[in-house]
Amino acid sequence: MGLLSWVLHNFWALLVLLFLALVALRIAWRIHKYGATRAEFAYVLRRSPFYLVVLTFCFFAAAPFLIMFMHSFKTDGDLYRRPQPFVFRQDPTLEHLDALFNNTAYLEFIRNSVVVGIAVVIITLVLSLPAAYALARLTGRWGERAGMLMFLVYLVPPTLLFIPMFRIVVLLGLKDDPMSLIVVYPSFTVPFSMWLLSGFFKAVPPELEEAALVDGYNRVEAFLRVVLPLSLPGIISTIVFTFTLTLHEFIYGLVFIADTSQRTLSVGVPTELILGDVYFWQPLLAAALIIAIPVGLAYNLFLDSLVQGFTMGAVKG
Amino acid sequence: MNARMSIVQLSGLKKYFDSVRAVDGVDLAIDQGEFLVILGPSGCGKTTLMRMIAGLEKPTAGHIEIGGEDVTDLPPRKRGVSMVFQSYALYPHMNVFNNIAFPLRAQRRELKFDKRAIRERVESTARVLEIDMLLDRRPRQLSGGQRQRVAIARAMVTQPAVLLLDEPLSNLDAKLRANARDELKDFQRSSNITAIFVTHDQIEAMGLGDRIVVMSEGKIQQIGSPQSIYDDPANEFVATFLGSPSMNILSADRFRFGFRPEHFLPKTLHDNPENSRIFHYFVKRVEYLGSDRLVYGYVHGHDNDLTLAKVPSNVRVSLDIESDYEFAVHNRDIKFFDNVSGQRIEQQSLAQAK
Repeated sequence: MGLLSWVLHNFWALLVLLFLALVALRIAWRIHKYGATRAEFAYVLRRSPFYLVVLTFCFFAAAPFLIMFMHSFKTDGDLYRRPQPFVFRQDPTLEHLDALFNNTAYLEFIRNSVVVGIAVVIITLVLSLPAAYALARLTGRWGERAGMLMFLVYLVPPTLLFIPMFRIVVLLGLKDDPMSLIVVYPSFTVPFSMWLLSGFFKAVPPELEEAALVDGYNRVEAFLRVVLPLSLPGIISTIVFTFTLTLHEFIYGLVFIADTSQRTLSVGVPTELILGDVYFWQPLLAAALIIAIPVGLAYNLFLDSLVQGFTMGAVKG
Repeated sequence: MNARMSIVQLSGLKKYFDSVRAVDGVDLAIDQGEFLVILGPSGCGKTTLMRMIAGLEKPTAGHIEIGGEDVTDLPPRKRGVSMVFQSYALYPHMNVFNNIAFPLRAQRRELKFDKRAIRERVESTARVLEIDMLLDRRPRQLSGGQRQRVAIARAMVTQPAVLLLDEPLSNLDAKLRANARDELKDFQRSSNITAIFVTHDQIEAMGLGDRIVVMSEGKIQQIGSPQSIYDDPANEFVATFLGSPSMNILSADRFRFGFRPEHFLPKTLHDNPENSRIFHYFVKRVEYLGSDRLVYGYVHGHDNDLTLAKVPSNVRVSLDIESDYEFAVHNRDIKFFDNVSGQRIEQQSLAQAK
């Protein structure tokens, strides 16, 4: 606690120091590589304004997360007495984190969300991989239109669908069961993934598949051995995207499941930590931040191929 | 029927895309061990024809036999053919070894290839094509020429009955191309494989082909050895398509006639002008091309048809621009064509008609 307290008290100073250390390391590395010449010095000076601008934008992007991080450790007194996001006036505390993990079903929310997310990703891939491939390669005159029609499904908002969907869920006996979400979520993840994936498949030259066909494989094998490995970045970004779609879905999760321990993160966290107009800010922010970090990392890793996936189909038509 | 067995037999082959007749009734027999070139301008249906032989395109009508078996409705993998694509279509996620081994692995069960047999086969094929030191590389780390060899190795490794090549040299630069042509021909000779080679490049076609099939508008215009096609064209299309610069075509009242620029020489260069036809030729412009002079001008009485002559540089005839000369063509070098159909007409039948 002593170390954590010290780190949090000096959080911003440490952040600046860390940044300066990184800059110093970078410059040292360049000098090691190219020598401490005037030209090198001039280069560093010339590039500095650029990095300053980048840094400013980085700060804007990161500030919400940093503030969430700091607030998670604040005592009620510190938080509510004239909000002051950047400093600790009272010693930081772990009591809210403790409450989040021990007095709420946060871990169960995570477990439910992960189970639902993984199951939906698998169902989505099984359904949308062949559909996307068909849409990319084997469309006749009606194929493209059928694809459009499927995308229309995605445009019908859940706010219209949740009542009929709820009746179906009850009919299936899945009320209060995360299974209900596994059944319903593909209704919006499949059309979306299908369009995303077909963009990636269209980018694989048809001759490669034809070569595989001539080399002695049938169409399924050609797909598995040539098209699939080549569109792996696209498939991974589809997985990330589908997973986050299920992660932030709210209305189905709220309606289908009333039992707290069966709820997912997106529903469980706000219902447990907002009671009427009372917001338990610290555990709320901590809960959001903890789940945001892995998702943010995954997005950043696959950002390039994700953007590629969105634009590819559009350009090729 | 030929004395040699024909390995590929196409009969009445047609392919229509909606209303476009890409291939419009092709009959063709290809002999075992032959190097057959399909030559034609782009859009003439030659690539579609090849894709139908490979099984990548389903014919609208007609039959394809390979090795005496009707394969019209069989998928590509059951036809015993290999193909080298124009873009080579190497698998970018595999190294060269795995690219070449790919077709072998597909046939592992039938050919009873174990891992060692595959390795031996790939390595020996790579050695023949002199790419055995590249087996660990990825396709993008290879030069154009190397990629082409890998594509050929991949096509050859299963020892197919027929090798299909779709303009495989067109992505190489000009210097490499002549070299690759020579190697390809040597390779085909020594392995005695039947090769069907599609190209729009007449020099490639003339240099490689045992026989050339000239195609236009989905139809075969002529089949024959390079020399017979050049010297004895069946119709006006073949006559003008082959040769650079192309054949001069002039109109007479009931027919057209043509002669090649290299046969159109000053009268003084002909040994016996009695067997030749004399033209009054107005020289407009002369291009000096090193080995030849390319002369642009008009034949008297055909003032609308630009007529070219290709005069070797080493004959000392002075040709001034804006002047009239007497040029001549040997009678046997003049070809006559029907005014309407463009078909060749024999000189005798023309004389009888008069």
